[in-house]
Amino acid sequence: MKTLESRGHDGVVDALLVEVADLLARLIETHEEGAIDLLGLPLSPECVAELDRRLGVGEVEIKIDASGLSQIRETGFSGVWWTQHVDEAGRVIARLIEVAMAPRMVLADVEDIKRGRQKLLAARKNAGGSAP
Amino acid sequence: MGNAQDLRGETLAEMLASRGIGRRSLLKFAIAMATSLALPPAIAPLMAANLAKAKRRSVIWLSFQECTGCVETLLRATSPTIDQLIFDFISLDYQEVLMAAAGASAEKSLRDAIAANTGEYLLAIDGSIPTRDSGVYSLTGGRSNLAMLEDIARDAKAILAIGTCAAFGGIPKAFPNPTGAVGVEDLVSDKLIVNIPGCPPVPEVLSGVLAYFISFGRLPDLDARKRPLAYFGATIHDQCYRRAFYDQGKFAKTFDDEGARQGWCLFELGCKGPTTHNACASLRWNNGTSFPIQSGHGCIGCSQPDFWDAGSFYTSLAGGVATGWRNAGIAAAVGLAGGAAAALTARSKTPRPPKDKP
Amino acid sequence: MTLLEIARGPAWQASVLIFIAGIAWRLAGLALLRRQRQFAAPRHGLPARMAGGARTMLTRFIPRRAFWPGIGVSVMLSATFHVGLGLIVFGGAPHILVIHQYTGLSWPGLPKGVIVLVSGVTLASMIALLIRRITHPVLRLLSSADDYLSWLLVFLPVLTGILLSGETVAAYDHLLALHILSFDLMLIWLPFGKLMHAGLVFAGRGLMGMKFSRKGAAT
Repeated sequence: MKTLESRGHDGVVDALLVEVADLLARLIETHEEGAIDLLGLPLSPECVAELDRRLGVGEVEIKIDASGLSQIRETGFSGVWWTQHVDEAGRVIARLIEVAMAPRMVLADVEDIKRGRQKLLAARKNAGGSAP
Repeated sequence: MGNAQDLRGETLAEMLASRGIGRRSLLKFAIAMATSLALPPAIAPLMAANLAKAKRRSVIWLSFQECTGCVETLLRATSPTIDQLIFDFISLDYQEVLMAAAGASAEKSLRDAIAANTGEYLLAIDGSIPTRDSGVYSLTGGRSNLAMLEDIARDAKAILAIGTCAAFGGIPKAFPNPTGAVGVEDLVSDKLIVNIPGCPPVPEVLSGVLAYFISFGRLPDLDARKRPLAYFGATIHDQCYRRAFYDQGKFAKTFDDEGARQGWCLFELGCKGPTTHNACASLRWNNGTSFPIQSGHGCIGCSQPDFWDAGSFYTSLAGGVATGWRNAGIAAAVGLAGGAAAALTARSKTPRPPKDKP
Repeated sequence: MTLLEIARGPAWQASVLIFIAGIAWRLAGLALLRRQRQFAAPRHGLPARMAGGARTMLTRFIPRRAFWPGIGVSVMLSATFHVGLGLIVFGGAPHILVIHQYTGLSWPGLPKGVIVLVSGVTLASMIALLIRRITHPVLRLLSSADDYLSWLLVFLPVLTGILLSGETVAAYDHLLALHILSFDLMLIWLPFGKLMHAGLVFAGRGLMGMKFSRKGAAT
């Protein structure tokens, strides 16, 4: 039998899942990305765990090491990602449910790409490479 | 210490890239700031893009009648974390604790920074400003803080009053306020002012306000006391992890009783959480280490104006400021005297009852 | 100064001082009232007279049976109100805290939910009593500004108290300020009007009982 507490969790988790569904509908129709800031909501650890359990695990797991570790995991629902950003001191600075084709942070940035290309060419030049 | 010329130079993205910090870090910083500022997460990419394009903003930091606690809390990092990145986004052109220069060369740095960034620099102030006797009670290089404020605020883009002293007068303003100390807003009326109170303030609030300002070119929404709503909108009571005990009526009665050991609510020991607006119940100090209630002491209301004069830290909100037995005695004496006088007057007007039997 | 600082500071201090002065004034006036000389010999000795006075303090709680059809309902409502107010004042944790801070005495309080429930019942009984006072022709005739003011100055603290415990109608510090200020107003008025019955009721009954006892009448 469900306890009073777990029934309370279910209510909040259900509401969040409805919001995820709405964001997915928007993604399908207009390709507009969305996100839910979980740290901005007064969720108990039990609620967060229940939400995580209901969303489940998908096929993709990504680790990003940029000024601290960021972990992004595709949930059991395509296009819905569970993201957690941690700073160098190990403190969680953001926890989100992202609804997107791919989370923005995974994609390489155009400016970084340009800089990388210049670095590549410079490194090749320094190594004394002549033939393309 | 930053060179005042930086503003005409590279963007923040270029500066970070030259240190091997890519756009992902910047986006991560923007996501963290959006969360901290209670902005919708979708705004993070826009913030990151704006931050990337921005040039380093000149900040001039003046320390007035203060204990240096605000500087210590903001600039001490136990380990460099991503929100410290904001301090790379500003060019701290003058700050007396940190700068290597001293004396005349420090003064020159100040003058150069103001000249190079007229109308664009942010003026950060910690400490109150004494006004009595032409402000002689706090001088820097022989000049009163009062005169410095008037002079340097003139060409600032906006003023950040950091800490309760700069925002509201703080401890120097506490009764009897012998130096006539006041906060910045009592002296400056024609500039944008953001108050970031707290004794000391929570460091993330400053980084959040700076990030918002650099990203969007304006200050975040402020409450009636000019404090950023994102951080000062809720009371400590609303975010306190001991709130459940308050609702259940479980209060610690003394600092070492069983209730205190169990972590019960500190209302009866004088906690001012219900009437204090700040972000410390969620953000805490020292990279999220702790805040007074977590350490077993009630909130003292340090981000509220005149909290030093609001009665004992150990008198609960339910108990008022006592009038004292002396005053009570005087009141009783006055009442007795007045009542007796009125009664005797009334008696003199009514007929005496007969002494003997009729 | 914010409203709360005024409420907890100068307003609280001033109202307590006026209260103390007012009580002293009222008691001095009562003590100096002319007393009617009694020429008849007393029926009973002093101990018996004092016992009679003590009895009267309690017997007056219940009206004589003959009067019940007319006043039974209002007596029940009044009892509900008084018991409710007593439970709130002496059972509410923040009130016990104030008493503790000034006297050192303390006792366990009632759960917040119980106090809220009792407050609701108390407010309802007060409103019912007011309606009765306004609609009953004799009561309306007898009622003065003192009666209505006394009612209002007790109603406001109970009302602001229940709103404060809910904490949702307005910001906590505003509600707390209003609660304390409304109590301050009651304190200021109490010594000078009918609210003084709170202190005088037992003394009045006792004296009347002693007088009856002296005459040999039933108490």
